[in-house]
Amino acid sequence: MVRFENVGMRYGAGPEVLRDVSFELKQGSFTFLTGLSGAGKTTLLKLICLAEPPSRGLITLFGEDLATARRRDLPALRRRIGVVFQDFRLLSHLSAYDNVALPLRLAGKREADYHRDVLELMSWVGLGDRMTAKPATLSGGEQQRVAIARAVVARPDLLIADEPTGNVDPEMGAKLIRLFAELNRQGTTVLIATHDHMLVEATRGLEIRLVEGRAMEIRNLARTV
Amino acid sequence: MSERGQKFSNIAASHIMPRDKGAAPLDFVIAVMALLAALALGSSMIAARAAEGWSAGLSDRLTIQVPPPDSGDVQAGLDAEVRAALAVLQATQGIAQVRVLSDGEIAALVEPWIGNSGVVAGIPLPRLIDATVAPGASMDMPALQERLKLAAPHAVVDDHSRWLTRLAGLAGTVRCAAYGILLLIAGATAAVVMLATRAGLDAHHEMVALLHQMGAKAGFIARSIEWHYFISALLASLGGSAAAALLFAGLGSLDIFGVEAVPFLPPLALGLAELAWLAAVPAVIAAIAWATARLSVLSVVRAIY
Repeated sequence: MVRFENVGMRYGAGPEVLRDVSFELKQGSFTFLTGLSGAGKTTLLKLICLAEPPSRGLITLFGEDLATARRRDLPALRRRIGVVFQDFRLLSHLSAYDNVALPLRLAGKREADYHRDVLELMSWVGLGDRMTAKPATLSGGEQQRVAIARAVVARPDLLIADEPTGNVDPEMGAKLIRLFAELNRQGTTVLIATHDHMLVEATRGLEIRLVEGRAMEIRNLARTV
Repeated sequence: MSERGQKFSNIAASHIMPRDKGAAPLDFVIAVMALLAALALGSSMIAARAAEGWSAGLSDRLTIQVPPPDSGDVQAGLDAEVRAALAVLQATQGIAQVRVLSDGEIAALVEPWIGNSGVVAGIPLPRLIDATVAPGASMDMPALQERLKLAAPHAVVDDHSRWLTRLAGLAGTVRCAAYGILLLIAGATAAVVMLATRAGLDAHHEMVALLHQMGAKAGFIARSIEWHYFISALLASLGGSAAAALLFAGLGSLDIFGVEAVPFLPPLALGLAELAWLAAVPAVIAAIAWATARLSVLSVVRAIY
């Protein structure tokens, strides 16, 4: 599903943020990406979701070598990835409903076809009564749930989340993780970047720990479930 | 309560990007440019029409001037030369009509310069013969002048070619200037719309990047923006063109308000067919806005990985 081989990344002429990172996410895996602030977690997520090209190394995504992939094929690859950004990145002029439905619209679906799915998902994440609210009127936790609903609504092949439970209470955090786990059971590969060790320890999956830009340790957490 | 059928979406397919607020200055600039473009276009049409009118009015006419002789019986001399010139003109192939202007008509011609106080009566004025060339006939002017010279030695033929050449040159210059102004305005409009689009994209850069990140194709993002600029430019330039049309209508109606037309200047009103051409101005400006907006968006989106 995702394969990194000796990937390095630097911004402009700055120092390397990632160095010789190599790992593989198998299809249907559930993985946590951990590490201290500045370890390079967000940069690594940007490379996977095709927001930035690597400075060196080889990235394979959905079986495509990104170094040789044609530019016009990249939008289709991006649509197979759901991303929960750390800063949510909601469109401020759209309602919560329209924000969540955005990936489906970009995929060319008609509202009549996805209306019920969007309503059910929003109700499930506790936003059933906030459909028409604009992001500016939502709390941080509500915005985060809109961002998560938007990332999962199109049932992506790969879900990437950057600190997805950072702004919600533990109960809602656990509920959101159950949502990710349910998607994972249906075949979605999940990668979550987090500082929350309790979340990592409490969940079945793998852990990739980044230390100073290197993937230092890959642990199997299956025993903790 | 069933939520089926309840409307939560408030956006149309092409409105994922927000409509820019505060675009009034851009609309105003486009309206002014449309006004200037329509004025330039209207002026070029008036110049072309005037040139045609001048040419049509003079190109089929000859004026033969017979000045009074310096000595002898002035009246008899004048009459003899006029008769001789008339005979030559009537015998010339291609001359359809010949007419000697009356003393009253000649007095009317000089009235703007020396008035009608009766002083003309004491001044020996040249006689004028107005000859009309048959449509399609080609005149051998040197041969005609030669024959007139023999019959009426003082007669002078004016085929107005000197004036026609100058008028045609003037009209051509006015038309070229108008077309040049049109080109400049089109270029400036494209530049202004491009700057405004770039500024709008800078303001919404994160939004564009997000749509791009979510897998929206460059064409999809461009479509969500370009029609906004097309409609805005169309409405603004329609206003500018309408103002220009009103201005031309006002200039054509000055006589209603007692303002006399300037001699030799053509009527400044535009006909219906000419006014229809002014409608092309907003169409062209809107097309320029659409194309520049699309190209700007595509270049910005394609610069992102």
